Amino acid sequence: MMDPRAWRRFRRNRGAIVGLALVGLVNAVAWIGPAFAPFDPSEQLEGGTDPQTGAPVPPGTHLAGRGTLWLGADEVGRDELSRLLAGTRISLLVAFGATLLAVALGVLIGILAGYAGGPTDTVAMRSIDLLQSLPFLLVAIALNRVIDRPDLWVLCLVMGGLSWTTLARVMRAKTLQVRELEYVQAARALGAPAARLLLRHVLPNAIQPALVLGTTLVAQMIIFESAMSYLGLGVRPPTPSLGSMLHSGQQWLTHQPVLVLAPSALIVATVFGFNLLGEGLRDVLDPKD
Amino acid sequence: MTRYVLRRLAWALFVVWAALSLVFVLVHGVGDPAAATLGPRAGAEQLREFRRKHGLDRPLLEQYARYVAGVVRGDLGTSFRDEQPVSRVIATRLPRTLLLGALALAFELVIGLGLGIFAALRRNTIWDTGTVALTFVGISAPTFVTGLVFLYVFAFLYGWFPVGGYGVDALDHLRHAILPAFTLAIFGAATYARLMRSEMVEVLGSDYVRTARAKGASRLRAALAHAARNAMLPVVVLVGLQLSTLVSGAIITEQIYAWPGMGRLAFEAISALDAPLVLGVVLVTAATVQAGNLLADIAIAALDPRVRMTG
Amino acid sequence: MCSIRRTDAGLAKRLRASLLLGALVGAGCPSPPQGPRWQGAGSPTPRRGGTLVFHHESDVRGFDPHTSFDELSNMGIKLLFEGLLDYDADGHLVPRLAEAMPEVSDDGLTYTFRLREGIRFASGRPVTAEDVRWSLERMLHPRVGSPGLTFYTNLEGLDAYRDGRAQHIAGIRVIDERTVAFRLRAPDQTFLYAMAMTFANVVPRENVERWGAEVARHPVGTGPYVLESWEPGVRVVFRRNEHYWRPGRPYPDRQIFELNLSREPAFLRFLNGELDIIHRQSPADYLYLKRSPAWRPYWVQRPSIDLWGYAMNCELPPFDNVHVRRAVAHAIDRQRWARTRLYRIRPTGQPLPPGLLGYRPDLPHTQRFDLEIARREMALAGYTLRDPDGDGIPEPVLTVEMWIGEGPTGQVYGELVQSDLRRIGITVQLKPVSFPVYLRESGKPRTVQSLMTGWSQDFPDPADFLDILFHSRAIHDHDSENRAFYRNPELDALLDEARVERDRERRGRLYERAASIVARDAPWAFTFNSMKLDAWQPYVRDYRPHPVWDNYYAELWLDLPRRRIARQVGGGGTALAWLGWPWSLP
Repeated sequence: MMDPRAWRRFRRNRGAIVGLALVGLVNAVAWIGPAFAPFDPSEQLEGGTDPQTGAPVPPGTHLAGRGTLWLGADEVGRDELSRLLAGTRISLLVAFGATLLAVALGVLIGILAGYAGGPTDTVAMRSIDLLQSLPFLLVAIALNRVIDRPDLWVLCLVMGGLSWTTLARVMRAKTLQVRELEYVQAARALGAPAARLLLRHVLPNAIQPALVLGTTLVAQMIIFESAMSYLGLGVRPPTPSLGSMLHSGQQWLTHQPVLVLAPSALIVATVFGFNLLGEGLRDVLDPKD
Repeated sequence: MTRYVLRRLAWALFVVWAALSLVFVLVHGVGDPAAATLGPRAGAEQLREFRRKHGLDRPLLEQYARYVAGVVRGDLGTSFRDEQPVSRVIATRLPRTLLLGALALAFELVIGLGLGIFAALRRNTIWDTGTVALTFVGISAPTFVTGLVFLYVFAFLYGWFPVGGYGVDALDHLRHAILPAFTLAIFGAATYARLMRSEMVEVLGSDYVRTARAKGASRLRAALAHAARNAMLPVVVLVGLQLSTLVSGAIITEQIYAWPGMGRLAFEAISALDAPLVLGVVLVTAATVQAGNLLADIAIAALDPRVRMTG
Repeated sequence: MCSIRRTDAGLAKRLRASLLLGALVGAGCPSPPQGPRWQGAGSPTPRRGGTLVFHHESDVRGFDPHTSFDELSNMGIKLLFEGLLDYDADGHLVPRLAEAMPEVSDDGLTYTFRLREGIRFASGRPVTAEDVRWSLERMLHPRVGSPGLTFYTNLEGLDAYRDGRAQHIAGIRVIDERTVAFRLRAPDQTFLYAMAMTFANVVPRENVERWGAEVARHPVGTGPYVLESWEPGVRVVFRRNEHYWRPGRPYPDRQIFELNLSREPAFLRFLNGELDIIHRQSPADYLYLKRSPAWRPYWVQRPSIDLWGYAMNCELPPFDNVHVRRAVAHAIDRQRWARTRLYRIRPTGQPLPPGLLGYRPDLPHTQRFDLEIARREMALAGYTLRDPDGDGIPEPVLTVEMWIGEGPTGQVYGELVQSDLRRIGITVQLKPVSFPVYLRESGKPRTVQSLMTGWSQDFPDPADFLDILFHSRAIHDHDSENRAFYRNPELDALLDEARVERDRERRGRLYERAASIVARDAPWAFTFNSMKLDAWQPYVRDYRPHPVWDNYYAELWLDLPRRRIARQVGGGGTALAWLGWPWSLP
């Protein structure tokens, strides 16, 4: 799909380039960053908490013989920067895993339901109804009981498996709309195979909402993960994730805002980057205007 | 049309029943409501007594049959926690949550759609980029952070709003609802804005807007007259989906702003494994979601007559 | 695509614009208060009148002293109800509805109480000895299912009554209008404490019969206040009881109980002067109070009579080996814990909290942090610790699972244990669980390997800790309270002897021995007693945290009218203030 012209178009699209840079940066933080972490992210440093008050030490505190805590410590005295580096990796893993699953499920089920209609549609839509009628919290608590040992891939499965319904509904509506367009009807009447119709007419129309909702989902998943940590379904402590760091940093907001601001900034950067990139890709792949 | 609606209605009832049954199994399999209600100090004898009193010592199937029979008669049972009829507890909480949810939805639609249309009309200008950037922050910001910051800045430092709570009379309730509703609306508004913008951009580039403009209509008029309806489709779907949160409440926002709605209730009920209350909340939520989906489907059919009546 | 360049320029512009916006918002921002906003009128003596506003972060179930048993309901129950006995501000038992402490027969089995004269229910009806009996019989009736039952099982004739073989409890005898006697099956030094619990509070029969299962929403008692109104999930308003028997009391006309108000908004309201007293703070708010000189006179931090620790299941390997348990008990760095928790906990290494009979600071076998001992005990248990890289972290020799509560606090304790036990070669895997799951599973034998757990007093007596947490009688097939499943016949015998011992000094020595045995055998690594900080407005006077009842506000008075304290010249808001920095004081 990526012919030289498309690449040229992409290069000229500075929004996309900025997005690519941001995504590259976040990925560098996640995959290369931990190698340069000044401390072990789960070591509770002796000088990490103030000896008088017990509060986490502020950004820039220097520990003799150990190095500097550039972003200060967290509430049990671990280096916030090292945790941030390690946490970004975990969050990206989980968020991408879950988003990919959700988008794949949502697009697939939505398009199939919309295109096939009939019983397929009915079954798909009723499952969505059922899934959306269940309170998430309860399902999560129940899963917590069933899955004895939460693991990263379990987390992806649960989060992705619970989050595809919105996209599926939007995709179905979109497909219904496309299916009725005259040229699609005509192609159908001429006996074009369904697979070709789906690929040529339906899928291109689906990319846009999938990108828009998908990039939104990445952010949602990172925050979702923090709620899951809260319920005991998230990553296992002491493994850090952006969401869980945000959550435990929250009660320090007025004392040490960096514990909230730092993970927030990384979440925003991730979402912003992926979104710009997504929009750029759309312009490149679908040069309608 | 009537047949379609009736069939959808039957399905909706089925889904509500299925959700209720599933949750019934979950909530009775997850933990021990007796211990959860009576706390760590309860001796074995009290626990037995509690289980007997609430029929928890009967076979699960019998409990289930009793519960369903009760629901059919309109009796949602009695809460374990405070010995009140579940229907009465929900009747107190639901209007508060609806007020908050409706206000939030209004904020979302006004802000979200407004920003989306605004950005699309000024595509590729600094206004557009600014709006889009704003929506990213809106999507990435968790409520437990924005809620606290708003509470601190706008309620405490500036004193423009009350510092959480529910107030005493109707007008006061509304005053108390503004800040939490706004907090709640940020995510939705950002989502709507982005969706609306991308739909509008597509529509603005399409043939009929070009034709309309060639005929001399202004861009805005052309877009709204010919195209907004098209762009509204996914928005309507999303609103329909959102009804569930509107009814089941928002746990974190309600907690930060001390808003005594369904979210807190549901959370406490689940934490305490108060099965009748949990099931009551599920029933109301599921029923509303179903109603919402039904309305959304009908609205879609009305907005776009080409969509065939299926499902 | 031509407009892309403009977008980029916009990026820079937008950055500049948002910085400017931040600065503007910051500049216009009022600075936060550095101290209290209101002060009292300066009245030298207690005065009547005014309304006290307090809060809790959860919702209240109801106010039935016989069935409600949690911190939250008790805050209201202590305003509405009373029993024969109560505690004074120092935690000593004192007569309340009783005229004096009861007469005890020589065999230690019969306690005779005489009611004060002229006591009335809030409805106006006089209280009689018959009401005392009826109330206890109601609480102990099987149909009521009160959690208080366990405290009164020693009453004579209780079983016959509960089985329906007797109309009344034979051990409760009404002698005349104002005299009632209790007879026990065996001597029991905890009986008087049981009579001071809310379960033994006196309620009017006609009110209970009128409201049935909903009586908790319509409380009537003899306490200083009556229920005025209740908006579910929002607030409960209490009004002065016009029939209250203590002359001149209570001082405030009304007390308002705000519900469902979590820590952060509660603290902001407190700073605003909308709440008069607060009892729970986020770490940031707690530090603000502790570091603010202007607030210093208006808070007290007091240890609670409770016990927290890391419980190890003595029936499951590796904790069936006493040496492993002792190694763990000596590997917990309690001082570091206290610091990490901002000194909101007080380290301990023994099963009895300070202030209780049998507590001795220098108790033999007190657990303390000592890695030497811990490593020696690991060796005795057969684990050789190797530390080839010499970083103080030996290679893991054991992996154990530890259950913690959901949420940030449970997680912190889990991580503290994790980090401490790494130093003796034990890898701890944390499993966060919800409270109901924790209750159910940890009460079953051979189920949970280890967990963070705690206990807080029902009454200030060592039996309430040792009998419940470590006696083999507290082990059942379900719902065990002895969650370490520790059994020791020697300890059981000591505890049974101490429970009936009437000589206080001898009793104290027995409990000392018992506590020392438990500390030695280390079914728990004892870690800390918690500390509670109560803060109040300057115009709230004579408030003293009660040693037994948490958040007990019946005795204080309000120095009204309150006056606004002139605003200090603040540092002015800055962009930093807008980001939430302002509470860190110089």
